[in-house]
Amino acid sequence: MLEHIIRKNNVTVQGTGNRAMLLVHGYGCDQNMWRYITPHFKKQYKIILIDLVGSGKSDTNAYDYNKYSSLEGYADDIIDICDALNLKNVCFVGHSVSAMIGTLAAIKRPSLFEKLIMIGPSARYINDANYTGGFSQKDIDELLETLESNYLGWSSEMASVIMNNPERPELALELEASFCQNNLEIAKHFASVTFLGDNRSDLKKLTIDALIIQSKIDAIASIEVGKFVHENVQNSSFITLETTGHCPHLSAPDETVKAMKQYLR
Amino acid sequence: MHLNIDYKELYNTSPSGYFCSLPNGTIIDSNKNFLELISYTREEVIGEKKFTDFLSLGGKIYFENVYAPALKLSGTVEEINFNFIKKDGSKFPVLVNSVEVKDKEGLHLFTQSAVFNISQRKKYEQELIIAKRNANDLSNKLSSVNTELLNRAKLISNQKRQLEEFNEHLENKNKQLSSFAHIASHNLRAPVSNLMALKDFYNENTDLEDKEMLFTKVETVIDHLNETLNELIDSVKIRGNKDIVHDAIIFEEVFDKTRTILEHQILDSKAIVTSNFSKAPEIKYPKLYIESIMLNLLSNSLRYRAPHRIAEIHFSTAVNDKEIMLTASDNGLGIDLKKYGHKIFGLNNTFHRHPDSKGVGLFMTKTQIEAIGGSINVESAVDKGTTFKIILKKNR
Repeated sequence: MLEHIIRKNNVTVQGTGNRAMLLVHGYGCDQNMWRYITPHFKKQYKIILIDLVGSGKSDTNAYDYNKYSSLEGYADDIIDICDALNLKNVCFVGHSVSAMIGTLAAIKRPSLFEKLIMIGPSARYINDANYTGGFSQKDIDELLETLESNYLGWSSEMASVIMNNPERPELALELEASFCQNNLEIAKHFASVTFLGDNRSDLKKLTIDALIIQSKIDAIASIEVGKFVHENVQNSSFITLETTGHCPHLSAPDETVKAMKQYLR
Repeated sequence: MHLNIDYKELYNTSPSGYFCSLPNGTIIDSNKNFLELISYTREEVIGEKKFTDFLSLGGKIYFENVYAPALKLSGTVEEINFNFIKKDGSKFPVLVNSVEVKDKEGLHLFTQSAVFNISQRKKYEQELIIAKRNANDLSNKLSSVNTELLNRAKLISNQKRQLEEFNEHLENKNKQLSSFAHIASHNLRAPVSNLMALKDFYNENTDLEDKEMLFTKVETVIDHLNETLNELIDSVKIRGNKDIVHDAIIFEEVFDKTRTILEHQILDSKAIVTSNFSKAPEIKYPKLYIESIMLNLLSNSLRYRAPHRIAEIHFSTAVNDKEIMLTASDNGLGIDLKKYGHKIFGLNNTFHRHPDSKGVGLFMTKTQIEAIGGSINVESAVDKGTTFKIILKKNR
């Protein structure tokens, strides 16, 4: 079971601390995202990194379109991983969509988690009557088109070169570096689930302590969207970083680490 | 020849777009070609616009979630396709290559990007994609037509098999009928010529006592003839009956009825008649047939018992997936299968010099069993006994 979960979610563990910190990447990335963050927590924490099923080096065969047609499917995986690794009092760090995945997991099993750190969260990307998420259905369609046109696998030659050259890992590395989703259908499905979802009503059910880390200029999750999360999560703090972009943990790791440490102190 | 290359001029007149942006995305320099591509003036762009300002919202999501992290993690990205928005709001497709420029300490100073207009190529790409989709559709259609053809072929081969079975059935019937015709004529000719002879004797004889004796013989032959005729008629009925009704039958009940019919013979012979139908107590089958089959088998076993030992007769059933087997075994006279095996189920074949042998029973039994897709076979040893095994198809 443990082995199965480790393979399924490409679980890696590092660090020498006693407390557990589980970091989960957002849409379009994998656990490499945490490269500049993890060194700062290695001493105090046992750090668990995963790839969501369908992303990174997870087992794409485990991608069940039905299960992952809502974020609940991913939240169940998080709970399975915590149980399998026997993690307790977990500090969950979720970027973007994984902030919501963590929220759902913590609603289901509050006892597993101690703190929830959300980086660039959004409970709803699509605008509606009284809410500005920032996007419309048309924008998501455009995203899907962009995904399609940037899918490296469009050339079957490229795909077969990579598949058939396990002895040439640099090809796979190249692919990894280019962040090409090796399965276009999964990338599109995950994009739809992520950007068309609505988790606003879940925020109020979250009881554990949470921190929202908001990038000052974020085209994906604006300050208003972040504040909405903060206002609806009962025990939450909110911090704005003087950064641009949706991935402050990549573009401004020092500020991000500082905010996390301040909160965890 | 030496040329003094002015790199600034080269940068400016290069046939693709270049721009340089700060880590926060703000564009701090660009060449002419880039400005021409997006139809903005230098003043409108430099220090004012960010990379993402030329992207639609959908493109921005991709930029933030895929492009920017990839650039951050590997320091370079290549061949990313975006749609850029011109000043007038129109869009055109580009390929972007970007590289992070860092100082000695690894601090990210700015990003250099090259932009290639791929409008023509993109049109062609889209045509290819449409053609590919059409080809896929066609391929799907073909494969569904193929599936249908396969199904039809299967149907035809099924029908062919049914016809073959039917043909076999007809051939079988034909064989039976011709055998029947042959035997019937033969079977009837013997008693009829017997009668003719008796008639002549009767006419020629003047002694009253002799006449009476001859008439008694005529009566016996007539009875016998009548019985044979009835049995032949019965067997014709069986084979002519097409709509056979399948009843739910309990073997035990039919067997009890059979014993009652033959009670006189059982008592006379002191035979020990036993049964065990627990393995397969029931079957759906034409009741008349089962009754007739059991009656024939039991009366055969009684008739051909060994005179010097007590007859033991046992009926039982067994079952597997699709079939039920009815077994009737005895310790009677037995049949020399080497001599008679090939004609044991033929009409008018008798294997014992026995006064009651008429040679109709087993033929009828076989006909009844085969009429509904069963089979019968026999194991026997002379003076040891005989076992009949009847395979009956389970009918649901």
